[in-house]
Amino acid sequence: MKQSLNERLIQYILDDQDRFYRVAYSYTRHQEDALDAVQSAVCKALEAHERIKNAAAIRTWFYKILINECLTVLKKRGRVVLTADTAKQEEAYYEKGYEQGGDIEQELEKLEMDVQVIIKLRFFEEMSLKEISSITGYNLNTVKSKLYRGLKLLKENIQEADLWVD
Amino acid sequence: MGRLENMKERYDAVVIPAELNDRIQQEITRSRRQQAEKKAASRRHTFRKMIRGMAAAAAAAGILFTTALNTSPVFAKEAAQLPVIGGVARILTFRSYETEKDDIAVSVEIPTIEMIAADTGITVDGINQEILDQCEQYAHDALLRAEEYRTAFLETGGTLDEWAEHNIKITVGYEIRQQSNDYLSFVVRGTENWTNAYSESKYYNLDLNTGRPVTLQDLLGSDYVELADKSIREQIARRQNAGEVFFTAEEGGFTGISEDVRFYINRDNRPVIVFEKYEIAPGSSGEVEFEIGGN
Repeated sequence: MKQSLNERLIQYILDDQDRFYRVAYSYTRHQEDALDAVQSAVCKALEAHERIKNAAAIRTWFYKILINECLTVLKKRGRVVLTADTAKQEEAYYEKGYEQGGDIEQELEKLEMDVQVIIKLRFFEEMSLKEISSITGYNLNTVKSKLYRGLKLLKENIQEADLWVD
Repeated sequence: MGRLENMKERYDAVVIPAELNDRIQQEITRSRRQQAEKKAASRRHTFRKMIRGMAAAAAAAGILFTTALNTSPVFAKEAAQLPVIGGVARILTFRSYETEKDDIAVSVEIPTIEMIAADTGITVDGINQEILDQCEQYAHDALLRAEEYRTAFLETGGTLDEWAEHNIKITVGYEIRQQSNDYLSFVVRGTENWTNAYSESKYYNLDLNTGRPVTLQDLLGSDYVELADKSIREQIARRQNAGEVFFTAEEGGFTGISEDVRFYINRDNRPVIVFEKYEIAPGSSGEVEFEIGGN
């Protein structure tokens, strides 16, 4: 039997759920927030499944929703005062990061949001520039220039970064 | 190793909480349920249209049906088993079968009205054909739905053994409510044990003196709406006092009977108005019935 687009979407969500969580966690740095973001992205995607036009676009379409949800969580959090409990947890995370010499995460978080999104999709999710372009809505050249600008700001060796870019 | 690669390694090492899968399954289940309900709503709509269309075609269909009766060995056998008890008409099983495929059990019992008395001038062929068509249509659609469910279940990681444990059962059948010299009243039901979204019940009330369907007006008089509404309100109040739960009007509860309200005729020849599950009370109450015109 031919699988409907909706069943394909469900299958895709089941297969790639771990990835979604990592994406969400990279923005929220908080387990509960990341779970919330993934869950509401799944909910919205299933509700809007009729808007998917072809199976090949499921992935980029879903990431668009997911990243949107992550940013919504961050925005909401900007207005919400963290409880003492969560504040402690956050602090603990960053200390651990320092110990491993991984302050690049913090540097990354200081960049403009759209640059962050592009870098994360490129290096964490290993997406092509074309896919990133359709997720973010920027044209290919804008994606490229934002990516390079971001890497420069990270004082990243562009040579090294080039090896990653196809 | 570069800092980016380090960062990617830490990214990939993020621990996935076990709760993630539960949350996602929750959304998928909810979405499936919503879609099933949406489908059922649009299907109910076409079902009603179909019935209206069938009434017009009943005369033509009658001819076809007579042939089916006379040539069906099942019918002949069933008819032979029932003693004729006199009276004008009776309800008997026209066809009954049970099948099982892919661990989906189907049990079908299709009723038919048989006129016993000759020269009443009453013809029931049209109504019989309508019942037959509806029963077969329901069994067919229900089986397709169960197969769809099975495919989805297996594709999302369910095993055949787990599927078998669902004990999916589709039932089409009838219950006789009244069978006297004046009235025939019975309900034809289709149910699927895994979902309530598609359950269907249709009530048939036949006046054997005229051969026409019985209306509430026939039984209660021209002010039947006020009479029924008043009686139902009183009964709801009484049953609420006894601890039964009904929806309030704001929650979608009882606000008066509609023109196509369902009812059957009971052994005392009184109408009993029936509300579907969830119609005016929580699902735990099931169907809710009110006898009208008693004490």
